[in-house]
Amino acid sequence: MMRRKRAEEREGIGRGARRALLYLASPVGVLLVLFVGPMAVLLIVSFEYSSFTRTGGFTLSNYSTVLTDASYLRVAWTTIFVATMSMGVMLLAAIPLAYFLVFRLGKLELPILLLLVLSDELNPLIRIYAWRMLLGREGLINSFLTSLGVIEHPIDALLFSKIAVIIVLSASFIPYATIPIYASLKAIDPSLLEAADDLGSRWLAKFRKILLPLAAPGIFVTVILVYIPLFSEFAAPALVGGTSGYMLGNAVQEQVLELGDWGVGSAMSFLLLVLSGVVALIGYKLGRIRRLEAIT
Amino acid sequence: MSPDRSRFRAAAAASGRWLFLVVLLAFLYGPLATLILFSFNDSIVIALPFREFTLRWYGEAMKNPLVVESLKNSIGLAAIVTPISLVLGTLAAFGITRFRYRARGAVAGLVGAPLVVPWLLIGVGALLFFSRFHFHLSLRTVAVMHVVTVFPLVAAIVSARLVRFDRSIEEAALDLGAAPRELLRYIILPLIAPALAASAIFAFSWSFNNFVVTFFTGGFEVTFPVWVFSTLRHAKNLPVVNAVSTLVAVVQLGAVYLAWRLARSRTLGRGVSSDIPEGAVPGLIH
Repeated sequence: MMRRKRAEEREGIGRGARRALLYLASPVGVLLVLFVGPMAVLLIVSFEYSSFTRTGGFTLSNYSTVLTDASYLRVAWTTIFVATMSMGVMLLAAIPLAYFLVFRLGKLELPILLLLVLSDELNPLIRIYAWRMLLGREGLINSFLTSLGVIEHPIDALLFSKIAVIIVLSASFIPYATIPIYASLKAIDPSLLEAADDLGSRWLAKFRKILLPLAAPGIFVTVILVYIPLFSEFAAPALVGGTSGYMLGNAVQEQVLELGDWGVGSAMSFLLLVLSGVVALIGYKLGRIRRLEAIT
Repeated sequence: MSPDRSRFRAAAAASGRWLFLVVLLAFLYGPLATLILFSFNDSIVIALPFREFTLRWYGEAMKNPLVVESLKNSIGLAAIVTPISLVLGTLAAFGITRFRYRARGAVAGLVGAPLVVPWLLIGVGALLFFSRFHFHLSLRTVAVMHVVTVFPLVAAIVSARLVRFDRSIEEAALDLGAAPRELLRYIILPLIAPALAASAIFAFSWSFNNFVVTFFTGGFEVTFPVWVFSTLRHAKNLPVVNAVSTLVAVVQLGAVYLAWRLARSRTLGRGVSSDIPEGAVPGLIH
């Protein structure tokens, strides 16, 4: 009996696979050639000698160059710092925003959500440029403050600094940061909060015991979706970061497009991928632990 | 607690919420508003005080051949990438959600991967890939890589819809003798139509907005984001950029808004309610 059932099941799976293949052949084919292919080439090139004179042959020198050079280490720290600060700013905005959207805004919920999605559809280069206009030395914030007499000399720190990059990146990703948290709060049964109210729990207790644990999966999604792209940002730091806001994405771009050292550039890219993977793993672990605490 | 005090606290909380929302919206939209404002300012430098109202930057933008070409290229690109991505993404969504087979997890992982791997790495990888196999970089290579980055998004939106709707409707149709073509025409397409509409909007704007992948895989032709980047990389802020950006932003936001309205009214009309609006889905996945 068991065996027959299992055989039937296997046959079912086999038939499913054949029919699925009809649907999947072209999309999976495209990805195998044009996504897996480039990633494989990237990996191969990172282990090859490359200079203007010759390429090819196995070497670990690209990785050792990246890992031992002190200037890359500094760039890596800048990247981690900027990404973490932006992530922090975004969570500070996104968690209350998601909470308001779900439990407090009522009729305004959809319009505000729409505004979030719309701001996300804005061309990122336009957004970066708009901020650069505001923040620059002769930018609007500076000229406004000097014309009012609040400050005598323009504040240079506003543009071409880490702060500028953090501001621009936070503004760019707040919608992405909010929506997963919004979705996980949306799944909370409001009666849970009412029960907590009835039992006289304080706001902080409600937040810690109900909202945070239940929002944890959403926060974890946010961290993966937002933190990882932050590590490889390069348009924003290139346009508003100057030398002190130079990030790993800029280093990759410079190696690959300007210096033509593809070996070092791809080694750096892979280290970036590993870094992203570590972040994803930590986010995943944290998300699960919080969830378990909520259940017990 | 006296009723007065609790009323006072509720009012304080409400005004705190308002303040938070106003600051947040100013943070998201304030820069865009100033950008638009200064596209009408009759001065070569973007600074206070505001001089006089003018439309000359719009005229100059439209006379600039690079601007016109970049806009044409970006629109053409998105117009090609969107339908291809819709087809590939929908096929992938059906293949992943509708059948049982052993490699399903692996296939879902592969289709989801381009949404998780940073675009910078996809761009650099594609550049090395194309040069290794001696492909000439052009708008064609850009379009191909846009499809790779965009269709997984379509797959995610459509499969989210497919897993949410009740399969018994399909089974009922089959039991009542519907042919596969009728099933597709009268049951499946109407049910996934909102997802397809949302996908089309997001596919178009992802392709139109994409900077990183385009920057690495493009040839000499510029797209709009690449034009903005290379214009500003080594130059000061220019009112012409304000004018073009205003045009693009207004069209973009207007189109997405209209599409949202349309999709919502249709969804509501059908009585299909969803907890999370369709348009929010890309935010969940990206």
